[in-house]
This record gives sequence, C-alpha cells and structure tokens, in this order.
Amino acid sequence: MNNRVCILLLEPSFLVREGIKTLLSQIGQAFRIEEVDTVIDDLDKLLSRVKPEIAMINPALLAKKTIFNRDTDQQSNVIFIGLMHDEVSTNTIAKFDFCIHINDEKAEMNKVVEQAYRRLSDLDTDTESNNLSEREISILKLVALGNTNNEIAEKLFISVHTVMTHRKNITRKLGIKTVSGLTVYAILNKLIKVEELGGSANFVR
Amino acid sequence: MADVIHLNHHLLHVLNRFNIHLGFGDKTVETICNEHDIHLDFFLDIVNTFHDASYFPLQHLQKFKAGMLINYLQKTHAYYLNVKLPEIASYIERLNNDESILDAHKKLLADFFADYQHELIVHINKEEQRVYPYIKKLEKVLQNDSASREEMEELSNYSIHEYEAEHDDVEAKLFDLKNIIIKYLPPPKDSRLLNVILHELFELELDLNNHGHIEDLILVPIVDKMEAALRSQLTQFGQ
Repeated sequence: MNNRVCILLLEPSFLVREGIKTLLSQIGQAFRIEEVDTVIDDLDKLLSRVKPEIAMINPALLAKKTIFNRDTDQQSNVIFIGLMHDEVSTNTIAKFDFCIHINDEKAEMNKVVEQAYRRLSDLDTDTESNNLSEREISILKLVALGNTNNEIAEKLFISVHTVMTHRKNITRKLGIKTVSGLTVYAILNKLIKVEELGGSANFVR
Repeated sequence: MADVIHLNHHLLHVLNRFNIHLGFGDKTVETICNEHDIHLDFFLDIVNTFHDASYFPLQHLQKFKAGMLINYLQKTHAYYLNVKLPEIASYIERLNNDESILDAHKKLLADFFADYQHELIVHINKEEQRVYPYIKKLEKVLQNDSASREEMEELSNYSIHEYEAEHDDVEAKLFDLKNIIIKYLPPPKDSRLLNVILHELFELELDLNNHGHIEDLILVPIVDKMEAALRSQLTQFGQ
C-alpha cells in the first residue's frame, strides 16, 4: 500500500470535518485529505481530480442529479464511507461500503475506518485468482484468446475505457502485465484451453 | 579488488566484461585497471551503477568516450546471447526430465521463454545494428575536422531519443515469467530446478536493469551532447 492514503472528505460541517481528521490522525495511518464542503453535481469529475482511495461522503452534499452508482470507472475503485447525519434510505446506505453515523461512539467509528483501511490493503495485495471478479475473468479470457480492447468492448457492450480499467485491475491483482503472460495464466488456471488459441501463432505475439 | 567481490559478488560478470578474471591477489582496483588498460573512473562508474541503482555518475561524464561505453554494452549483449540465455534455456529443457510437471505446462513455460528470448534478441540486434553504429559514426564525424557537410546533415536526421523506450514489453515479459513460476505454476515434486531457473531470471533481470540504466544515465547524455555539438557545427556551416 502507498504510505499515504488519499482521502476525500465531503462534508459541510466544519466541526464534523475537524472531528473526522482527529479520528483519522489517531489511527496512525499516514493520510492526505482533500476537504470539500459544497454540494457536488458531478462526483466523477471530483473523483478524477482528487483520485482518492477512500471517499467519506455526507450524502446530503450529493445533488439529486449526481450519478452515484459505483459503476463508473472513477467510482469502481474507491472505497466509500457514508457520513450520515439523519436517517437515510437503505437504498442510499447500500451504495456505501461502510457507514458512520455522526452520533456513533468513537470506538465504532474507529472500527469502520480500520475496516476500510484493511479493505484497501486487501485490494492492493489481492493476488488470488478467485479474487478476480466474474467480469474480470470474462475479460481475461477474451484477452488471452487474442481479442483487442476494442473487440472486448464490443463483445461485452462496455466502453473501451472500462475494458482498460478492468485490464489494469487484472494486471494489478495477478502481477502479470503482458498478453502472453495472461494467456499462460488463463491456461494454467483452466480458464481457456490451448486448443482454443488456434495454434501457437496466437501465443507468440 | 577482492574486497569489491566480497561486497557484491554479482559484480563478477561485470569484471569479466572488462576481461578481468579471478585470482586478484591483493592488487588494488587501480593496479588492475592499469594492467588491463582500463580507464579507472569509467570502471568505477560502471561498477558503482551496478552496485547501487541510485548512483548517478555525474562527475566524470564528460571524460568518457561513447565508444568506450558501447564496447562495454556490446560485451554485455554478448554475455546475454552466448551465455545467459542458452544457460536458462538449457535449465528449462531439463525440466522435461521431471515427470511431476505436466507436459502441457512444460511446453507453456518453454514457449513463453522462447517468446521472451526472441523479443530480447530482436531488441539487442536493433541496438547493435542501428543504434550503436549511429553513435559511433556521430563520434567519428565530430572528431574529424574535415567531415563533410553532407555527412553531418545526414546524421542530424536522427536522434537517440527515437531509439529509446521500447524496453518496456521485453521487461514486462521477464517480470511475467518470474511471477508465473513463483505464483501460478503448480509445484513439482522437487522444486530445486525451478529455484535455479528463478535465480537465473533474477540475475538476468538485475543485469538488464543495469544495462538499461547505463544507457539512460551515461550513454544518452553523452549522445545528447554530441548531437547538440553537431547541430551547432551545422549552424556555423550555414552562416
């Protein structure tokens, strides 16, 4: 894990922000924090600017039209912690990985933040094949069979950009960078068969 | 010199490229360099960049001739082609005797290595046939006061930076090969041979990194300077 975790803090109340910062600094993990206290229309834009690993968000600061569905490239790699002031719908809660209510006990909040950190380091050292998601496995197969990013995007009805994000994640999780390396991995793990490759010509790239 | 090897035995290969071989006795680095007619500072810089990847050989840069470096780099190429790669290939072939590894897996590994080897050789050939001759010619033209304007203009069409990069995929393949063996190949009954192969791959990687390091940190700045000198000579011609 990078020594310094980048945290986005989206929260209108100065006191709450200061409280959160105190909490974080007591945990002892080095972090860099970006504070935002205004209503956000375009969450993806903010995320691509700040590039946080963890986003602590008071959902009241997300404008109605804001897209917050965890499906976009910017949102898929961030751990979201909800900062709840009032009652929120379960629908909203479900979009967050973790939730903190501002009236929670300190120990409870600590626990949540520590879990988030642990999740973060899991993401970083995730190396077992069964930690590839279904989507990543289907993309890995297509890569191994010699498809280009464009072809994969067409076959799976997703954007080329999304394919690239998945490929980056696959490489990070497996520690394998090249297409021929991924092909060997796919064969070793029986994701594809050698016969499917159509001769060794495909393998030597 | 013996102390140098006690400190870092990986340097033995480097010494061999300077035609220095074991049996140093108590001779100092300077004495041995003098005996072999090796530029002492150059030797020290090469050894230091190898020993410590963060070492930056700034001071002596101007004193070195590109030809000196190319000579060294060519010797490392010869070492990869004639010694290291065949050695690793023979170890991989010896895996065939191990019946606890699936034939399909042996073939995968052998094919992958062959693929990697092919790419590395292509890369080396490109440097040997295009990059180094260009640099040598550049050096020759700059030393020769009577070089013709045509010669200079022809050379000025090229730049060392066009040749750069491209290391990437070759490096990535080696990285993958290591991880496939370390993480994904089902373990054989006796892993000693795989251990040896891995060890060799790590050594090769270390050596290749240093090779690239010397190109980037020493050779490219020298060539940059020569290219600048060539351009300024051409402008003088123009006036």
